[in-house]
Amino acid sequence: MKLEIQITGASGKRKHIVELERKGDLCGVSLDGQALDADAVQIAPNAVSVMIGGQSFEIHVSRSADGTLTLQCGPHEFSAEIIDPRAWGGRKHGAVEVEGRQEILAPMPGKVIRLLTAEGDAVEAGQGLLVVEAMKMQNEIRSPKSGKVERLLVKEGQNVNAGEVLAWVE
Amino acid sequence: MFKKILIANRGEIAVRILRACRELGIQTVSVYSEVDRTSLHVRLADEAYLIGPAPSRESYLRIDKLMDVAKKSGCDALHPGYGFLAENAALPRACTVAGITFIGPSAEAMEAMGSKTAGKQLARRAEVPTVPGTSDPIENPEEAQALAQSMGYPVLLKAIAGGGGKGMRVVPNDAAFASAWRDAASEALNAFGDPRVFLEKYLVGPRHIEIQILADAHGRCVSLGERECSVQRRHQKVVEEAPSPVVTPELRRKMGDAAVRLGRAGGYTNAGTVEFLVDADLNFYFLEVNTRLQVEHPVTEQVTGLDLVKLQIAIAAGHRLPFAWETITPRGHAMEVRLYAEDPDNNFFPSPGKIISRHVPTGPGIRLDEGVYEGWTVPMDYDPLLSKLIAWGNSREETIARLRRALDEYTILGIRTNVGLFRRILAEPEFLRGEIHTKWLDEMLSRPHPPAASPRPGTEEAVLIAAALWHSAQSNVSTPGGAEPQAAPSRWKMEGRRQQMDHMP
Repeated sequence: MKLEIQITGASGKRKHIVELERKGDLCGVSLDGQALDADAVQIAPNAVSVMIGGQSFEIHVSRSADGTLTLQCGPHEFSAEIIDPRAWGGRKHGAVEVEGRQEILAPMPGKVIRLLTAEGDAVEAGQGLLVVEAMKMQNEIRSPKSGKVERLLVKEGQNVNAGEVLAWVE
Repeated sequence: MFKKILIANRGEIAVRILRACRELGIQTVSVYSEVDRTSLHVRLADEAYLIGPAPSRESYLRIDKLMDVAKKSGCDALHPGYGFLAENAALPRACTVAGITFIGPSAEAMEAMGSKTAGKQLARRAEVPTVPGTSDPIENPEEAQALAQSMGYPVLLKAIAGGGGKGMRVVPNDAAFASAWRDAASEALNAFGDPRVFLEKYLVGPRHIEIQILADAHGRCVSLGERECSVQRRHQKVVEEAPSPVVTPELRRKMGDAAVRLGRAGGYTNAGTVEFLVDADLNFYFLEVNTRLQVEHPVTEQVTGLDLVKLQIAIAAGHRLPFAWETITPRGHAMEVRLYAEDPDNNFFPSPGKIISRHVPTGPGIRLDEGVYEGWTVPMDYDPLLSKLIAWGNSREETIARLRRALDEYTILGIRTNVGLFRRILAEPEFLRGEIHTKWLDEMLSRPHPPAASPRPGTEEAVLIAAALWHSAQSNVSTPGGAEPQAAPSRWKMEGRRQQMDHMP
């Protein structure tokens, strides 16, 4: 499969095309159209082992609330935005429109101060769902996709932890 | 020996105590607040009881509820850990009334030594040198300000009941006095329920070196040597080590003797720590006594080979200490770093949340004391200490190399941590030379970040490949090289395995 990935590290932001092809248990890789002497194996739900020309790398991956990936390789941290061709039709302003039911997570601990939508409301991608106040700053939590607010799991005035599910958008 | 111990704490220290109890064959009882139902100290305990909602004032600080649990579950002793009620004399008193042994000093010794002013008076009587300042709390801000002027700035305001840097303010000059006084008093009131503060002369650039003492109920009081805890951020210890890079055997003996003298004068029993400030000429001044187990006790354990929690329990059970001071000499070197859920890019603001995944270091010379696990949500209601990573080796150099290696192996996803801070500290030439003092870390942090070592060639490519593979495995369309969807486990196989387990001795 072919993916366009925008990666951000200490040295800046770049876009690449990564193509993976299954070869038995491993997978063959080409980067920006060029075949690499590399293979990759997922060794744990959040860890990938990559070999490039005999150099061994271990990368830990997690997805943050806004859908970007955080990747750690030893002390180095990168973030990556995947531009999936299957979702190209729906994306706006370079952002990826996600598919399926989305859990809306609190990006930081704080307090829900306002609900901007109700269960059952139709929402556009990027529309504000609710406002969370943390450290005296108000943060609007936006819908990652157009669809319907299936459930709102928090009430106004409620304290939330980072990573807590706030709502489901279907 | 005790049959069952109530652990009146949470987090890593509750787990630490639990492990000691288990090794001694003692049953354990944990307590938990509503947000701690899934915490490790609850999962590992033999018994655990809910004692209230998340705010510690309504749960972990409720002596009445602790006593109810102790009686209901038939505990014969209570270990307070550190923090919460560990230095509150009302707890040992309540234990006495309930007929339960408190694992720590008597309420009287706690009061005579634990409060900063009382400790200072006792130190003067025991001829232990002290920093110039008032030994009584000052009620009146004008009177305090006049005293500060006569003593000369900078001065330090400290909460009587304080600890952990709360209710503490450095006052650089007269103009800043009034607001610093208000801040210190209100912080002290919020944190400890006691707004009283006292005043002392502020030493510039001292080291923080403390002596671990142990005293049994039969009159033996020994020093287990020092810990250097000079690397602090806003009066909070960040890195601790033993032995100190500057303490000579002679200074160790002098400081140890002073600490033991103080312990004897206060009628102290059990484990305690006498904290000193040490100036550039290696003069030491008594700072305060912590009448409890310290967060950083593992570094002493690693260089003495002793288990302090087990010794605390043995002392409380009336056993004699099996060694004398002369027999204790540090072997090798140990160092601890405190890994916190805090955001280094946001002024180290607490960053609790769910731990999505993590990988912890192992191997030679590495110890991890912690109360967290993968999948657990770090609650926002308590101190965000995740893990204490401790390394030891034959020399300070080897210990630092091990710690660096372990930090590189440590990965945690889902929350922000201060791991990067330790990588930076452990690379600083001044730290490597042991040239540290209590303001050193704040100074280091105010300097511009050194450019981070650039990743080795291929890292960015590897990260791209990992992102692509992980994404495709997640979206579950074609999973090149990804984990195969697991077949549901066979019930027959599971049952067969379970029966085999039943036959194991």
